[in-house]
Amino acid sequence: MTFGLTPLIDAGSPSGLLILTMLLTPAVGAISLLVIRGKRAIELVTLVCAGLVAIDALALVSDVLAENHASAFGQIFYLDSFGALVLMPIAGIGFVSALYSISYMSKQYERGMIDDRQLRRYYQALNVFVFTMLLVPVSNNLGIVWVAIEATTLVSVLLIMLYTKEGAIEASWKYLVIATVGLSFALFGIVFFYYANSAVTANADSAMNWTDMALNAKALDPNIVRIAFVFVLIGFGTKAGLAPMHSWLPDAHSEAPTPVSALLSGVLLNCAIYVILRFHIVSMGSLGQSFSSLLLIVLGIVSVAIAAASIYFQKDMKRMLAYSSIEHMGIISVAMGFGGFLGIYGGLLHIINHSLAKPLMFFASGTASQRYGTKAMANIRGVIQTAPALGVLLLIGGLAIAGMPPFNIFVSEFLILTSGFASGQFLASSVLIALLVLIFAGFMLHIIRMVFGKPAGSLKASPTESIEESRSGSKSYMLAILPMAILAVFIVVFGFYVPQQIHTLAVNVSQIFNQTSALPSPTAFGGPK
Amino acid sequence: MALPQPDLLTMSAAALLIATFAVIVRRGFLDWLSGYRYQSLVLAAVTAVIGYMTGVWEIYIAAVLTLVIKAIVIPKVLLRVTQKIKGNLGEFNPYISLRASVIISAFLVVFAYALVGETFATSKLDSVAKNYLPVALALFFIGLFAMVSRRVVLSQVVGLLIIENGLFLFTASLTHGFSLLIEVGIFADILISVLISAILLSRISQTFDSLDMGKIEQLRDD
Repeated sequence: MTFGLTPLIDAGSPSGLLILTMLLTPAVGAISLLVIRGKRAIELVTLVCAGLVAIDALALVSDVLAENHASAFGQIFYLDSFGALVLMPIAGIGFVSALYSISYMSKQYERGMIDDRQLRRYYQALNVFVFTMLLVPVSNNLGIVWVAIEATTLVSVLLIMLYTKEGAIEASWKYLVIATVGLSFALFGIVFFYYANSAVTANADSAMNWTDMALNAKALDPNIVRIAFVFVLIGFGTKAGLAPMHSWLPDAHSEAPTPVSALLSGVLLNCAIYVILRFHIVSMGSLGQSFSSLLLIVLGIVSVAIAAASIYFQKDMKRMLAYSSIEHMGIISVAMGFGGFLGIYGGLLHIINHSLAKPLMFFASGTASQRYGTKAMANIRGVIQTAPALGVLLLIGGLAIAGMPPFNIFVSEFLILTSGFASGQFLASSVLIALLVLIFAGFMLHIIRMVFGKPAGSLKASPTESIEESRSGSKSYMLAILPMAILAVFIVVFGFYVPQQIHTLAVNVSQIFNQTSALPSPTAFGGPK
Repeated sequence: MALPQPDLLTMSAAALLIATFAVIVRRGFLDWLSGYRYQSLVLAAVTAVIGYMTGVWEIYIAAVLTLVIKAIVIPKVLLRVTQKIKGNLGEFNPYISLRASVIISAFLVVFAYALVGETFATSKLDSVAKNYLPVALALFFIGLFAMVSRRVVLSQVVGLLIIENGLFLFTASLTHGFSLLIEVGIFADILISVLISAILLSRISQTFDSLDMGKIEQLRDD
């Protein structure tokens, strides 16, 4: 209730200052772009801001590793291992997207798809977009988290409607309406949780804080928690693209400018899943394991099934990648529903692995479709002959995202399936395996044709392009390849071993999951009748 | 046996429901807009009543914000957009007839009362929450229904705003106000979303030459 100023003056520890500077950097970047002109300057400001955010985030994560959590402003901002695992991809992919934007948007600019004003607006919105996403993992107050997620919707709608073509306008309208309605469900859920918590909490001022809810989880009224979790799951599930609330996602993610698609699919979806899981932890404390876990497994399996059906028959490359995001969010949801150490560990790894592989795929598909002048997969053939580096990267990304060993996603999917069978969820695990095989087949069919097919017909479509490409466009081409190469290195490395730091964070998070559910809850599944 | 005296809370809750139905029974978009404005006015008054009953001063600020943003600024923005858009706005037939809409909305109100009764059976609600919570949920459901039952894109915006009003009342009556910081954040989100939808609406009318939802279907998986 209070709006006290004391916590606002006290930034707390050095890590508090880090949080503050990390949030301020993209905000200052966006504001400075109001006055800065010139294409090079705009690109440089955005890239530097994204780089600073990435460095800042790394420093914060190492703080979290050392002290278990970082907080500022009297716990308004609070970053624990879970937040850190979500923060890293936001900062990292934010940086590579800014890097990739330079080459991609320059090309769109040269082709007259966008003018000076639109270019500047693009970079402004990109900075704001990163800012709103950064707010999610560092905020402890769930009201602020909601405001931040709604703000991500608004700014990404602005980014999608940058192109004034029919598809982009329709996609942004659908996205705006469906996501806003979904998030209003989520706010209902948050208010329910807040109400349940304020009835039992010791400190009314922090009743909106997640840490406070987790602490009181066992005492919360199970009747209210049950309906609250359903509202939260529908609400943030819409934003995370879980079926059957996913209908906006393929449109929005495929119509957005490619670097934005990478951010939408690679990290924004994580933010929504992250909030759902925070509430999952609280409701496990109140209702016991089974209620929210079952809901997560069911929605997850349905999402993977919908994606499997759509990927096989897809003709548009970006739409296929969008459906693949629905699939991977579904897998994460199932993993968290399986629970247990392996399930949670695998789910967390999957969040990171997907954040690495999906942007690579979007970047590769964006560059390929710029070269071939189409998004239709039927017309993109023989990438490895026309552009060997791009072809190799596309192949690595495609194999990784389909779950082929030895790449990173195979590792997390294997862990998740193991946990499913270990926890006795035979039906869900078998269905999941069957669906993953289907998706693998569909993906490989499309990727192999694109990489190794005969390029003859499609090159005739834009002969000038490829000649110009080989001579003058090489610098811009290298700038497009660089962010993909960075991602590919991570994908390969993470396929062989998980860095110690990420391992420690993931182990810490599984303890956070257990903190509310370790002891048998007095109001286990079903609640008092 | 004496009948219970109607008090301020019951009266204002009823007034808000009547205001909501006043939106549903109309056909043209401009009527919807004025209906929404009327609903927001009543909501601002209801918010002030909550402030008076609970004695929390922040709620008065929220009431003023409701009055200014929802009853004045937002209708003005949307009105300006509709003036720019050429062609007819008000002659589309809704997917569901007006008569059926009223009956369905009435059922939604009953459902909202039942849901609140069920959920809060074990917890003690104060009189403010008891009176307004079902109304808030009813607004939410009716807003959702309004969005799916109308063909015109503009009506979806008003449906969204009715949902938002329900959400606001729900928050105010159950928690007696979030912290002001969050409240202001939510208002800012709503205002920006209306501005963005205003831009989008004029682009839709330019690009598609229509505001009929049925005609805006380019993106499909074939």
